[in-house]
Amino acid sequence: MRATLQEELDTLQSTLLEEGELVLRALRGSMEALENRDPELADEVIAFDDEVDRQYVGIEENIASLLARQAPAAGDLRLVLAMLHTNLHLERMADYCVTIAKLTKLVYGITPDQRMMVAFQEMGARCEEMIRAALQSFANRDVAVAESLVELDELVDRGNRRVMGHVLSLGSNPAIREWGLRMIVVSRCLERIGDHAVDIGEQTAYLVTGEFREFTDASNAERLDS
Amino acid sequence: MAEPSNTPATISEVSLEKLVQRDDRGRPSRAAQNVVFEVQNLGVSYDGSPALKDVSLEIYQNCVTAFIGPSGCGKSTFIRCFNHLNALIPGARIQGKILYHEQDLYGPGVDPVEVRKRIGMVFQKPNPFPKSIYDNVAFGPRVLGMTGDLDGRVERALQQAALWDEVGHRLKSSALSLSGGQQQRLCIARCLAVEPEVILMDEPASALDPIATTRIEDLMHELKAEYTIVVVTHNMQQAARVADMTAFFSIERGEENERSGILVEYDLTEKIFTQPSDKRTEDYVTGRFG
Repeated sequence: MRATLQEELDTLQSTLLEEGELVLRALRGSMEALENRDPELADEVIAFDDEVDRQYVGIEENIASLLARQAPAAGDLRLVLAMLHTNLHLERMADYCVTIAKLTKLVYGITPDQRMMVAFQEMGARCEEMIRAALQSFANRDVAVAESLVELDELVDRGNRRVMGHVLSLGSNPAIREWGLRMIVVSRCLERIGDHAVDIGEQTAYLVTGEFREFTDASNAERLDS
Repeated sequence: MAEPSNTPATISEVSLEKLVQRDDRGRPSRAAQNVVFEVQNLGVSYDGSPALKDVSLEIYQNCVTAFIGPSGCGKSTFIRCFNHLNALIPGARIQGKILYHEQDLYGPGVDPVEVRKRIGMVFQKPNPFPKSIYDNVAFGPRVLGMTGDLDGRVERALQQAALWDEVGHRLKSSALSLSGGQQQRLCIARCLAVEPEVILMDEPASALDPIATTRIEDLMHELKAEYTIVVVTHNMQQAARVADMTAFFSIERGEENERSGILVEYDLTEKIFTQPSDKRTEDYVTGRFG
């Protein structure tokens, strides 16, 4: 039994799951700032990204060191590789939260369109649910939960398409049109967060089965607008 | 666009995955035209105690095949079967078959000397003869009467063993004046001088430092273009680095608690080290057992 290796793998995984918790906080913060038009909270979300980045870099360094020293194989190797990818997906999610916070700051003086705010609330809640499911599937090596992410992602994609429709019907007021354009990017950020959660699910499936497969084939997607 | 090359690719250059056919359980089975050895239900016992039981596998041409496993799993016993070395041990008994290009290696009328000429061996500790570098390499050809252009043969063997640049100017020096790594490459050159088809290596780098080990591993990589290489190694990373195919052997306890070696899993090296099919292989390559 390679006790040191096992210990290092356990520590890496818990650090990764902690990073996931940080991302959840960043997402909640950015959605709350958007909803309440709160530029101070948006600033906090932006600053908070440094913590996620620190965690990300720490995990990356520890994985490099573990690979160099321990030469993991088979299931251990797959775990390390899956953690390497998942780490990157989580860091990207946090970056999208920062983008949402920055856009919130740019438009906080404009009265938002309520239909769109409802859509964002729903998309945000779905993304949170997806991140939780992704982390849970990874921690429990649960491929069924990982695969369920595809359906949740479809809901986020649908929300994204709804937002596009709303923006087109916003009318001719230049301020509200600017707001609408910014909100397209917010919607896109949430949609991408959902995609990264699915990607983490794919890493879980790789970890368990040893074979990598994409849950959905983006290059042959039926819809072009998702 | 580059001109298509007419040189036939070696088996490793073509995807080995394509050549290795699999049975309904996903295990490698026959890859017809490239089989050098076909081992069928091989068992070895010493004075009645089984050392190795019921091993079946195929060794493919121009591949490096590694045998890994814990001490006592029979991997050295197994490799020694390929050139009749077990026959030199009193009390050793071999059951089953090894077909070498479809010919029974242990069939009647097979000359062990002829077998060892075609299937050479390099051992764990470098074992040069207390003679000059030249005489070491020329030894096999002289014994076998292959004396035409002996100088050319010696030079070619030393070149192939990546030793010529270091010793070409002092062929008359004693082989024992060489470093351990050089001595091992000399033993490889001695083996190559009789133009074998297969080179068996039993822990060829375990007595060498990391730099000399790397040279031996690089050499294995180069030599497989012309030879078929079978290597026993304790060093799993070495198997992962050099081998195209890897066989994992383990120890099984019988009804009376007697230990014997068994073949657990044999597959592409990449598969063994990323996604082994058997839990025992997984436990061994991840260091949880053995």
